[in-house]
Amino acid sequence: MIRRILMVISLCIFAGPLLAQDLSNIQIHGFVTQGFLYSSHNNLFTMETSDGSARWTDAAVSLSDAISDKLHVGIQLHVYQLGELGGPNLQIDWATGDYRVNDRVKLVFGKVKTVYGLYNDSQDVDTVHLWTLLPESFYPVDNKNFTLAHYGADFYGTADFGTRRGKVSYRAYAGYRSLDLTGGYALELGVPVVGSAFTTGGGNMFGADLRWQTPLKDLLVGVSAIVTNLNGTATTGSLHIPYLGEPVEFVKFERGKFMAASEYKRVAPQLDLHLNNVDPYGYPAPVIPYNVVAVEDQRSWYVMSSYRLTEKLQVGAYYSHTGNAHVNGKLPINYSNDAVISGRFDFNSYFYAKLEGHFINGTSLNYYVDTNPNGETTATKMLAARIGFSF
Amino acid sequence: MNQRYRSHLFFGIVLGVVFGCAAARAQDVVVIVNNGVKATSASKDDIASVFTGDKSSLGDGSKVTPVTLKGGAVHEAFLKEYIGKGDAAYRTAWRSLVFTGQGTMPKTVDSEAAMVDYVAATPGAIGYVGKGTEHDKVKTLAIK
Repeated sequence: MIRRILMVISLCIFAGPLLAQDLSNIQIHGFVTQGFLYSSHNNLFTMETSDGSARWTDAAVSLSDAISDKLHVGIQLHVYQLGELGGPNLQIDWATGDYRVNDRVKLVFGKVKTVYGLYNDSQDVDTVHLWTLLPESFYPVDNKNFTLAHYGADFYGTADFGTRRGKVSYRAYAGYRSLDLTGGYALELGVPVVGSAFTTGGGNMFGADLRWQTPLKDLLVGVSAIVTNLNGTATTGSLHIPYLGEPVEFVKFERGKFMAASEYKRVAPQLDLHLNNVDPYGYPAPVIPYNVVAVEDQRSWYVMSSYRLTEKLQVGAYYSHTGNAHVNGKLPINYSNDAVISGRFDFNSYFYAKLEGHFINGTSLNYYVDTNPNGETTATKMLAARIGFSF
Repeated sequence: MNQRYRSHLFFGIVLGVVFGCAAARAQDVVVIVNNGVKATSASKDDIASVFTGDKSSLGDGSKVTPVTLKGGAVHEAFLKEYIGKGDAAYRTAWRSLVFTGQGTMPKTVDSEAAMVDYVAATPGAIGYVGKGTEHDKVKTLAIK
C-alpha cells in the first residue's frame, strides 16, 4: 500500500510541470487517482475492504487534435486496478474521429464513449465528480468497463429552439461492445454461473439519447435507451442474453452552487445458460441442469444533491436503490440500498481529495464469492477516500 | 462631529472601500470577437452555449472558437453572468468533455491584453475583457 501511494505521489510531482501541453493543436491531458476503502462488514469489489484496502488505482492520458475546423481526432488510454479486477494492461478508453458539419449534424466513429443517462460516459473519470463512488445501482464501479464505450458510430447534434422552448440534444448510435474479461461481469458470470472463466464475450448495441435543456434554463430532462445482447463463451459452457431494451429517464437541476439529480431505470434481462459438462455434486460447476433460463426485472433509481460551499469545498448526499421485482424482494440478495454522504476538497486546479460514507443495506451489488466465502451480512458501512491529480 | 457619528462614518467608508474593490460587475465585461466574424450581436444563451462547448456557432451561424482568461475578476464576472458557475465548476464541466472525447479544452490566456491580441490574430476567436481594457483591434458583440 505504501509503495502504491509513493508511486502516485511521484507521478503527480513529475507530471506537474507538464501541465496541459498544447503542441500546436495537440492537447495532452491526463489524470491519476488512488483510492482507499474500508467496510465494517463484508468485502466489496473483490477487495479485502473489511481490513481496509488501497487496491484501487486509476490512470489515463488523452491526446486530441483538431485536424481541421470540422474534424477532430483523439485517443485516451486507461489503466485501472480495483482489487482483482483490471490489471496492468493499457486499455483504449476511446479513440475517435469526430466530424462536425454544423451544430445540428455531427458524426463520431471509432471506439466511442457511450452516452447513456447522466453519467455513463464519464463514470470512470473521477476528477469530474464530487462522488468517490457514483450510485452503484446505475454505475457499478466493478462493471463499468462493459458499459463505458462501444465500437461503432454516433450521429448527434443540438437543435436550439430559442429561449421559450429551450435546446434539444440528440444522439443515435450503433456498434459492438466487448466484455472486459478482467472486469466484474466476467467474474460474476464466469466461474460461479457457467463454471469457468469467459474466454470471449461481447454484444451488439443500438442506442439513443434525447435531452431537453428546458426553458427553465437550469433544468435538464432526458431519456436514454439501449437495445443490446450479450454472448459469452467459456470452456464449460456459454451464456446468451437475448436483445433487451434498457431505457433510463433522468432529470437534473443545476443553479449556481446547487445541484439535484435523479434517474430511473428498469431492465428485464433473460439469461440463457448452456453448460457443457455439469457435475451437480461438484464445485465449481453450478448445481443446475444443462440449459436454464433465468429472468430478472431489475428496477433501479437514485436521488442526489450537492452544494458548493466554497470554490474549493463541495458536499453532497444521495440515496440509491436497486431491486429485482421478479423474485422475493425482501431477501437481501435481491436488493441493494445505499445512503451516502460525500465531500470533495480541491487544493488547486490539479489536486483534490474526497471522503465519503456509505450505509449499505442488501447484498445484490458489488459482492464476490471469493472474498466473502462465508456469505455476507445484510448491512455494512463503508468509508471511501480518494486523492487525484489531473491536468 | 461627535464620536458616535465619526465611528459610523468611518465604518461606512470602510464598507464602501471593501465593496467598491469587489470583483468586476457583469456590466463591466464585454464580449469581443475577431473582426472577421460577421455577427454584430448575440444572445446570452448563444454565448453560454459557445463557452460551454454545446455549440460552435452564434445564432446567425457565425462559427466561433472560445478563448478564456486563466482567472481574475473579469473572468469570474463573465462566468457569473453568462455561465452561472464559478471557475472550478466551469473547468470541471470542460474536463468532462475532454476526458470523454467530446471536446477540447478552450485556449486560455494570462491577461486581458493577451486576450485582445489573441482574438485579433485568430479567425473566429471569441473572448471577453473588462470594459476599460483597450480593445480597438477587435469587434465588440452587442448582447441582446
